[in-house]
Amino acid sequence: MLPAAAVFHFPWEINSGAVKDGESVRTFGRLVCYQPEESRATLSAHHAANEHTVVIHTLFVEPFNPILGAQYLVLGEIENAEEVDVRVQARVLNCIDGVNVALLQKAINEQRSFFRERECTQDGVAQPGDAT
Amino acid sequence: MQASAIGPAEEPSSILWGLDPIFSAFARLYVRDILQMTESTQVPGIYFYNSHPINKVDILGTVVYKRERDDFFCYGVDDGTGVINCLCWKSDAFKEEDHSVREKHSVEAYGNFNLVTELRKLRQAQKERSCLDIGEVLRVRGWVKTSRQQREIMGSTYYKVNDPVMAVQIAWMMEVPRLYRECYNKTIQLNPTATGDSSVSMFSKATNIIKDFFKQKMVTRFRPYDIQDLLQPLVFSQPQKAPEDQQPVAGLSACQQLHQLLKKVLEDLQNEGVIYRRVKSQDEVYDVTVQDKDLLLAVKDVISQDSKREKHAEKGCHILHILSAVRQRHSLNVSRAALELVLKSLECSSDIVSTSDSHYTVF
Repeated sequence: MLPAAAVFHFPWEINSGAVKDGESVRTFGRLVCYQPEESRATLSAHHAANEHTVVIHTLFVEPFNPILGAQYLVLGEIENAEEVDVRVQARVLNCIDGVNVALLQKAINEQRSFFRERECTQDGVAQPGDAT
Repeated sequence: MQASAIGPAEEPSSILWGLDPIFSAFARLYVRDILQMTESTQVPGIYFYNSHPINKVDILGTVVYKRERDDFFCYGVDDGTGVINCLCWKSDAFKEEDHSVREKHSVEAYGNFNLVTELRKLRQAQKERSCLDIGEVLRVRGWVKTSRQQREIMGSTYYKVNDPVMAVQIAWMMEVPRLYRECYNKTIQLNPTATGDSSVSMFSKATNIIKDFFKQKMVTRFRPYDIQDLLQPLVFSQPQKAPEDQQPVAGLSACQQLHQLLKKVLEDLQNEGVIYRRVKSQDEVYDVTVQDKDLLLAVKDVISQDSKREKHAEKGCHILHILSAVRQRHSLNVSRAALELVLKSLECSSDIVSTSDSHYTVF
């Protein structure tokens, strides 16, 4: 069986409650901490003068080579853990150090605005059809 | 919600699909759209996105699922909008490992270059690029199929994308929305009678009418007013059909339009070389190039006489040489295009033979 599509989310959206439990996401951030005994990694990203962290459960992607301070891309499911609010159960964890973060953000926004735009026009087209 | 969902009634007829350029391209659609496209009721295996017929797609995404069989890999590819199964056939490189070992003894080394080793390296590289693990980035081009109610892609080309800093993925994410806006989301009207710009089409219709007329009646020479009547139905049927389209020429009477059209057609036919004026005088007489026996004879004479000369004996006469000779002998107004038509017609009747693309001779 194929897993659900992992939609791009910004690290600061993960903890904001915008994503539901069990939802598949992909996000990125700088690896700031890795505790192998707990299979727990922490990614961090700066946004709007705040630091946002995302807790990653790395059991399924171990062993991996943790490079502290490097950018990582994670793909996995959101789960509500007891000790932290939200954590990502990682299916994929790739080191993408050297990535142009600003450009990546731009690309994500680009894609989102495209979908938003399309849904708007579709709603606009669909409504008159529905009314009849 | 789905723009892609169209009713069977709205589906364009299959005979028109080829007119849509997207049909013959590998469309870079989002996986979500590939999964939601409606299948054609006329031809299974063809899908519709926004009334564009689609059967080939090009996708890039992360491998999130993998299953290996003897002959193929089955990769689940996630592009952030959806996940789709891609059937990727193993190439022969996978099966030929034993051969390369056996062939070792016949190896002859030329300097440092060893063909067999290089070939093995190539196969190895090919193999590495086609065998992916979960988390790696895959690009697949292939045909969309539906098997057991599941949509999948039958890969024709697929390879692992080395994308350590996500440059390729970012470029892809930026490009696809642009492609959607510029191509896939634009509906094109696949209409068999669509002729585009009305003034252009009227002009081309007129040109064709005149050309057909020349062919049917074997016209050798004419004056403009002889053929003017032929174009009349075109001009007079126009205003009723599309009065708005004719804005720029609305001020002109039908008669003036007819004159203008005729002038344009004659100019165009002259540029093509279909007609020419042997003598430029007040009396506007046009000769139909390939029906002008004198011209054909003149060209044939020039070639047969001059190709006997030592200068042209080997290769035959060059087209520019023929042109200047014909201009001297027959008429100054023969254009190169007209001469080319004459040469083509003479060659078709085996009166002359071309020795290169611009040399002609007679046997």
